[in-house]
Amino acid sequence: MSLSVTTRDAITAEVAKYPYKKTALLPSLKLAQKEKGWLSTETLAEVADLIGLPHSHAIELATFYAMLFTEKVAPVRVEYCLQLPCALVGAEDALAKTAKLLDVQLHGERGTRHGHTKDHLIELHGTVECYGACHRAPMCRVGDDYKENLKTDDDLQRLVADLKTRAAAAKSQAH
Amino acid sequence: MPLDYQPILLPNPGRTTAVALTEYEQRGGYDGLRNALRKKPEDVTTMVKDAGLKGRGGAGFPTGMKWSFVPKGPGPKYLVVNADESEPGTFKDRDLMEIEPHTLIEGIAIGSYAIGCELAFVYIRGEYTVAGDRLRDAVDEAKKAGLLGAPSKLTRADGTPFSLDIVVFLGAGAYICGEETALIESLEGNRAMPRSRPPFPAVAGLYMKPTVVNNVETLANVPYILAKGVDAYKAIGNPPNNTGPKIYCLSGHVKRPGNYELPLGKVTLRQFIEEYGGGTPSGRPVKGVLPAGVSAPIIPAANLDAVLDYDGIKGAGSMLGSASFIVMDDSVDMLWAATRMVEFFRHESCGKCTPCREGTMWLEKTLYRMMEGKGKESDLETLQFVSKQIAGNTLCALGDFATSPVTSSIKHYRDDYLAHLVRIEKKSDKKGDKAAE
Ligand SMILES: Cc1cc2nc3c(=O)[nH]c(=O)nc-3n(C[C@H](O)[C@H](O)[C@H](O)COP(=O)(O)O)c2cc1C
Ligand code: SF4
Ligand code: FES
Repeated sequence: MSLSVTTRDAITAEVAKYPYKKTALLPSLKLAQKEKGWLSTETLAEVADLIGLPHSHAIELATFYAMLFTEKVAPVRVEYCLQLPCALVGAEDALAKTAKLLDVQLHGERGTRHGHTKDHLIELHGTVECYGACHRAPMCRVGDDYKENLKTDDDLQRLVADLKTRAAAAKSQAH
Repeated sequence: MPLDYQPILLPNPGRTTAVALTEYEQRGGYDGLRNALRKKPEDVTTMVKDAGLKGRGGAGFPTGMKWSFVPKGPGPKYLVVNADESEPGTFKDRDLMEIEPHTLIEGIAIGSYAIGCELAFVYIRGEYTVAGDRLRDAVDEAKKAGLLGAPSKLTRADGTPFSLDIVVFLGAGAYICGEETALIESLEGNRAMPRSRPPFPAVAGLYMKPTVVNNVETLANVPYILAKGVDAYKAIGNPPNNTGPKIYCLSGHVKRPGNYELPLGKVTLRQFIEEYGGGTPSGRPVKGVLPAGVSAPIIPAANLDAVLDYDGIKGAGSMLGSASFIVMDDSVDMLWAATRMVEFFRHESCGKCTPCREGTMWLEKTLYRMMEGKGKESDLETLQFVSKQIAGNTLCALGDFATSPVTSSIKHYRDDYLAHLVRIEKKSDKKGDKAAE
C-alpha cells in the first residue's frame, strides 16, 4: 500500500527545504514511518523514488539509524534508559516492575533487554542509550513522549495504565 | 553557601515553558544581534575571541578562532548547530532549547553574520521532539518580527539587508551524530560516519563548503558578549582560560539533580555536590565522579577539591568536556559501572574503524565475563592492552572515550575488580586443578 497524499506532499515539501535533495531523505523516511509504523522495502523504495534517489540510499539509512525500523514494531513502544545515571537511581528496578505489571518476559543481556505483551501491542525495551533526562530518572520514552520521574510504585501504576490505554486505542484503530 | 550569581543562559531556574519573543525582547533580547550588525563581521569574531569563549560541546576549542578559520570571499558558508546532545548525563542543551530558544537563535544569527552564513542548520537529536517544536516556533516568531528571513528587516553595517534562514533538523538516534563530521554526513543524507581530516569543516564541511559546527551552549553565550561587551563577559569566571558562565549537569547519587549555571572556576566539585546537589541521598560518602558524562576518566573522592573549570578538572586527571557530572556513592561497584559505560560505546561505535569496532566488543566481552564471576587476574591486563590498542588509533574520539571508564576505574578502584576475582579465582583454581589432574 502506498503512502498517503498527505505524507507524499510533506516529503515534497522537505525536498524543497534544502540545497541538496539528499538531505531530505532522513526526514522523509521519518515521515513515512510515522504513517506506516515501520519501513518496509516497498516504503523505502517509494520514498527514494519520490526524492529521486537510488533505493540503496534509503536502505543504507534505514539500517543505520536506531529510530528507523525495518521490521514491524508494536504500536506502543516503551524504551527505558538503563545508562549509568539512570541505573544508579533505580532504572533497572523500574523496568523490572513495569515488566511485571504488564506480564512481560524480558530477554537479553545486561543493559539491553526486550520483551512484549502477549497480544503484541506493547513492546518493552531496556537500552544503554541516554535520552537526556538523567535528572528526572528513572525514565522511559513511550513513542515520542518522555515519561520522567518514575520513582514510586504509584508512578509506575500510572505509566502502565497509560500504556494500556494506548494499546487499546491502537487495537480499536486497527479494527 | 551557594554563590551570589545571576544566571544568564538559563535565567529562570525551574521554568519549564518556552520564553516567547516579547518576553525575550523585554529583557534586552536581540540587542546583541543589533550591536553585532553595526560592526564589521570580522570585528564580531574578534570580540568573541577576546572574550575567551571556548566551545561547550566537549573539546573546548576557542570559538572566535574557529570562526576566523572560515575563508572570506563569495560562495555559501554554513553554520551548523550541534544539538545532538547524547552524552550520558547531559541535558543542558535540551533546557536551553526548550526554555530559551531565542537565546540560541540570537547566537546563531550573530555567528552567521560573523562568518557570512545565510543558511544555518540546527541538528537536534531525534528524541528531542519538544525542543525541535519549540525552536521551530521561535524561528517562525523571529521571522515574523523581521529578525530573520531572506532578507530580514535588519540592516548590516555595510548597508545591505541581513539575510538568514534557520533550518531545524531532527536526527534519528545515533550518538555518533554528535561528532561534528559525522553530523555533517548525517545532514547530507548519509550514514553518520566520521570523516578523516583534513580537510577540516572550516574549509570543506557541509556540502563541501566552509562550515562552522558549534554546540548549542556555545552559541547561547554569544549574545551576552555582543550585548554587554568583552569586559563584562570576562568578569564572569576565572580568566584568562576560564571565562564566562557554564551550565553543569548533575545526576546520579545526589539529592537535587539538575542543571546549574555557574561562573567557571568559582566552586569546587565538593561544594557543587554538597551545596547545590544536596549531597548523596544515602548520606554515604562519594566514591567517584564522572565530570564529562561517560567520556572522561573518573575523578576519585580524593580529588573532590578540584575547581569546576577547564584547568581544575584537568588538574584532577580528567576533562571538563560537556560538564556532565555523574556522582557515585561508595555503594557503587566500579566494575559494574565501567561495564555499563562500555556497553554504551560498544552499542554506539559506528563501526568505521577496526580498533573501535572490535576493541569495544572485546572490552565488553571481557567485562561481562568478569561480572559473571568467570574472570582471571590477567583480564585486567587484557582490558588495559585492548584500551591501549584503541586509544589514539581511531578516526574519531569515540574510541578514546570508550577506554577511559575502563582504564580510570582500574587505576583508582582496582580492588573492585579484584573483589570479583577472589570469588572466581577459587572456582577457577579448582578447575585448574582438575585440568592438571
Ligand atoms: C563521539 C563524539 C560525540 C560528540 N557529541 C557531541 C554532542 O552531542 N554535542 C556537541 O556539541 N558536541 C559533541 N561532540 C563534539 C563535536 O565533535 C564538536 O567538537 C563540537 O560540536 C564543536 O562545538 P563547540 O566548539 O561549540 O564545542 C562529540 C564528539 C565526539 C567525538
Ligand atoms: S572511533 Fe569508533 S565511532 Fe569513531 S569513526 Fe571509528 S568506529 Fe566510528
Ligand atoms: S542516563 Fe538515562 S536519560 Fe540520561
